[in-house]
Amino acid sequence: MFRHTPLRHAVLAILALAALMQAFTAGYFGLEILIEILILCMLVLALDLVAGFGGMVSLCHGALMGVGAYAFAALATLAGLDPWLAALAAVALTAAVAWVIGAICARSHGIYFIMATLAFGQMAYSYVFESPLFGGDDGMGGIDRFDLTAIGIDLNDSRTFALFCLAVLGAVYLFATAILRSGLGRSLTGVMHNEKRMKALGLNTWRIKADVFGLSGIIAGIAGVLAAQHIMFISPGLLNWTVSGEALVVVILGGLGTLVGPLVGAVAFVVMKHQLGEVTTYWHLVVGIVLIAVVMSRANGIFGWAEARWGARLDRRLADATRSPTPEEVTSDA
Amino acid sequence: MTQDLSFWTLQTLNALQLSMLLFLLSIGLTVIFGLMHFVNLAHGALYALGAYIAATLAGTAGFWAAILLAPLGVALVGVVLYGGLIRRMRKSGPMAQVLVTFGLIFALLDLTRILWGDLALAMSMPAVLSGQVDLLGVSYPAYRLFIIVLGAAIFAALALVLARTQIGAMIRAGVDNDAMAACLGINVERLFFVVFCVGCALAGLAGAVAAPLLSVTPGMGLQILIPTLIVIVIGGLGSLKGAIAGSLIYGFVQTFGAVLAPQLASVLIYALLAAVLVIKPVGLFPAKG
Repeated sequence: MFRHTPLRHAVLAILALAALMQAFTAGYFGLEILIEILILCMLVLALDLVAGFGGMVSLCHGALMGVGAYAFAALATLAGLDPWLAALAAVALTAAVAWVIGAICARSHGIYFIMATLAFGQMAYSYVFESPLFGGDDGMGGIDRFDLTAIGIDLNDSRTFALFCLAVLGAVYLFATAILRSGLGRSLTGVMHNEKRMKALGLNTWRIKADVFGLSGIIAGIAGVLAAQHIMFISPGLLNWTVSGEALVVVILGGLGTLVGPLVGAVAFVVMKHQLGEVTTYWHLVVGIVLIAVVMSRANGIFGWAEARWGARLDRRLADATRSPTPEEVTSDA
Repeated sequence: MTQDLSFWTLQTLNALQLSMLLFLLSIGLTVIFGLMHFVNLAHGALYALGAYIAATLAGTAGFWAAILLAPLGVALVGVVLYGGLIRRMRKSGPMAQVLVTFGLIFALLDLTRILWGDLALAMSMPAVLSGQVDLLGVSYPAYRLFIIVLGAAIFAALALVLARTQIGAMIRAGVDNDAMAACLGINVERLFFVVFCVGCALAGLAGAVAAPLLSVTPGMGLQILIPTLIVIVIGGLGSLKGAIAGSLIYGFVQTFGAVLAPQLASVLIYALLAAVLVIKPVGLFPAKG
């Protein structure tokens, strides 16, 4: 089951503070990078939920994000729906698509699961790429951001939009932890560790997998809506499998199955991409080598490594310092 | 148009040509998986490497030398990869292997960009094969026929080796049960190594023969990777029969889909893959039942 250790709390607090500081002090380019990180964070949270806690390594999460983005854009610009209503419908649609994919793929395991999700993701990609309704490979433009001027907030300002994304990310993170703490989340982890035993206990394992996949689709859909609003333009490239592949790389770099780790990974990945991108156009080479090194080191990503090294010691020291009578008190606040 | 016999002949030949190219790629990948349970996502990158080596050599040494040397060069790269990375990853889980080879894709992609630049290279066909051949009432490019014949020849050779020779029997035993094969005195580790190198060489060969048809770009490895994976998953991992069946299915669905239902063509193949996975989750002809 998912627990917040002191180290996780500390890293979350540092990340939140850093994001706030960046949001208030950075210039235009810094804000763009921050928003990119925040949206990627949502996508990798969605992926970590299924891959890290359910063993369902999905290569369609990029496509799910794209479905959310395209559904929002189509409903808001083509059908002329109110942006909030369009966003709601887009997220619901993404969740439904994710649930169906999860339900169909739940029977396959390992490489077959990866390939099946890849097939569905690429199916969506090819459909959008060819579809004249959604602009084909030209993409769609003219997407508006949410209108919050009624309460004095102008989201067309980058700084405000960054803060808005940060708030949404916070809510998404709480949503993910709530899923993992619920009975459903605990059953999911049980299914990951031993599906046969969970079946023997009388659980409907495919339903559990499909439900969590659907919930993960909600998060991916939210990420998609925000991604569409951020650039105000979408292209089929958003749905391509390489987006899902990169998200998987981020999850692994950060630490699979830790929720906090993928956030660290997202920051590291985007910063590395932009910093290296200034120095050399061959930043993929560096990312590739770092990825190989991380996987071969057998550590669970950057955060997993830190957790294995300092987590236990920090736990003990804090437990001694606060003399907490029960471990629940240390771990139970969100 | 669709009533015309020559139309069907032409499209069938096109489909066969695509199938054979995919077969050259997928057979290496699928047997490597069957033997080693190792998913080498970098297989597409090796294909691109083969195309680059061939395109470079063709200018100086000629087409035939390029087609012979490119697989050898790629096999050498395979030896380095095996010694440096893959042997160490043998004991880790499939997830780690997928990720390491994913990292390799990134690294090899940029290495080819550094060595050969971003611009597309072109490779010319030999004079013998650049003409047209009259076949069953249609005039068809000789080079494409050459690919079909080459693919069929390699399929026949592999089928013969796997079914009739001692090393073929050892490979089949290794795919079936590697621990038992090792107990019977087969050096499974060396077998892996040989199969891996042959798989890499075939990927390089596929790249080399594809180079004159397509433009040689750094992204070509990524483009071919997904079709290759679809082929081996539809066919079932680990078997020659699966690889050829998957390649033919992909080639025909893709080619006829593109001419008969252009709107649906690209979705069709993914829908087919999804259908196969739902009905037979391990593919049509898996090596192990």
